[in-house]
Amino acid sequence: MASYTKAAQQWATFARAWYLLDAKMQPPGKIAAATVIRLEGRHKPIYHALSDCGDHVVIINTRHIAFSGNKWEQKVYSSHTGYPGGFKQVTATQLHLKDPTAIVKLAVYRMLPKNLQRRTMMQRLHLFPEDVIPEDIEKNLLQEIPQPRAVPRRLDEYTPEEIAAFPRVWTP
Amino acid sequence: MAAPSLLRGGLRRLFAGLWGRGWASPPARALREVVEVTEGNTTTIEGKIIEDAAAPTPPNPSGQCPICRWNLKHKYDYVDVLLLSQFIRSDGGMLPRRTTGLCLEEHKKIAVCVQMAHRAGLLPNHRPRLPEGHTPKKPKLNRPGNTSEEKLRCPMICSCIRSHLGYLLKLFQDR
Repeated sequence: MASYTKAAQQWATFARAWYLLDAKMQPPGKIAAATVIRLEGRHKPIYHALSDCGDHVVIINTRHIAFSGNKWEQKVYSSHTGYPGGFKQVTATQLHLKDPTAIVKLAVYRMLPKNLQRRTMMQRLHLFPEDVIPEDIEKNLLQEIPQPRAVPRRLDEYTPEEIAAFPRVWTP
Repeated sequence: MAAPSLLRGGLRRLFAGLWGRGWASPPARALREVVEVTEGNTTTIEGKIIEDAAAPTPPNPSGQCPICRWNLKHKYDYVDVLLLSQFIRSDGGMLPRRTTGLCLEEHKKIAVCVQMAHRAGLLPNHRPRLPEGHTPKKPKLNRPGNTSEEKLRCPMICSCIRSHLGYLLKLFQDR
């Protein structure tokens, strides 16, 4: 607050920021919840539904999202082409194999408020299946959103020292 | 039917000990290392007992099972792979209770946690050995969460909160 000019402060308050979110081993619903907050602009104290204060969100590693339970086999995405006999139902697995960004895209789309601003907010969402991002987007990134789920460590991710330091609970 | 066969087995074991060199003591339980020594014509293959460094004393030595002895009764979860990996074989199956010394309820809880850890992919090197060069046909997808039926048997829920299951299942899905 101390040494900013009025113009600089105005610029910093109303500028559109770019956020990064890593979706590796995360549930897509939680990813969508975190992005929707940023896309709407609800994380800002100057939020108003009509003031178009949403930010950009770049989601990487959408190919490596993780559904809990049996949702890969049980969750069904339905659509209708509009033609008779055109009701299509696809499982989450099939949809993910066809398009690795589709699940996160649908999750975010369905979580946004159902108004005319939804389409503009979806244009500010950028999805990438791996962690390869175009250079111009990479230059814009400001901050990384923390991952919603704490990823547990696998057994091979522990160092041998940590494994040796853990006491043997029973002796053979 | 069980009683006569038990008696027969027990009696046979008693008599085998007597017929041998008197009362033979049961073999000591320890990890053994196979040592092969060749002296001239003779090759001796022996299982030498590995003398471990003295294990640290557990905080509660008067417990019946390892979990009680180390005061871990309601303290572990499927993510504590360092603990769970001590009770599994190299192909991912559980070790029998008579070997590990766990009490029945803890053995069941650990089994559930091990199953959850396998489904979450936290034990990648404890897979069952597949015959020949069998390649998995299904596409590999991350599924770290656990089915609700497993969560119902999970120790963190078993402890005292079965009555508030619905609300708390949501809480545990946030972990």
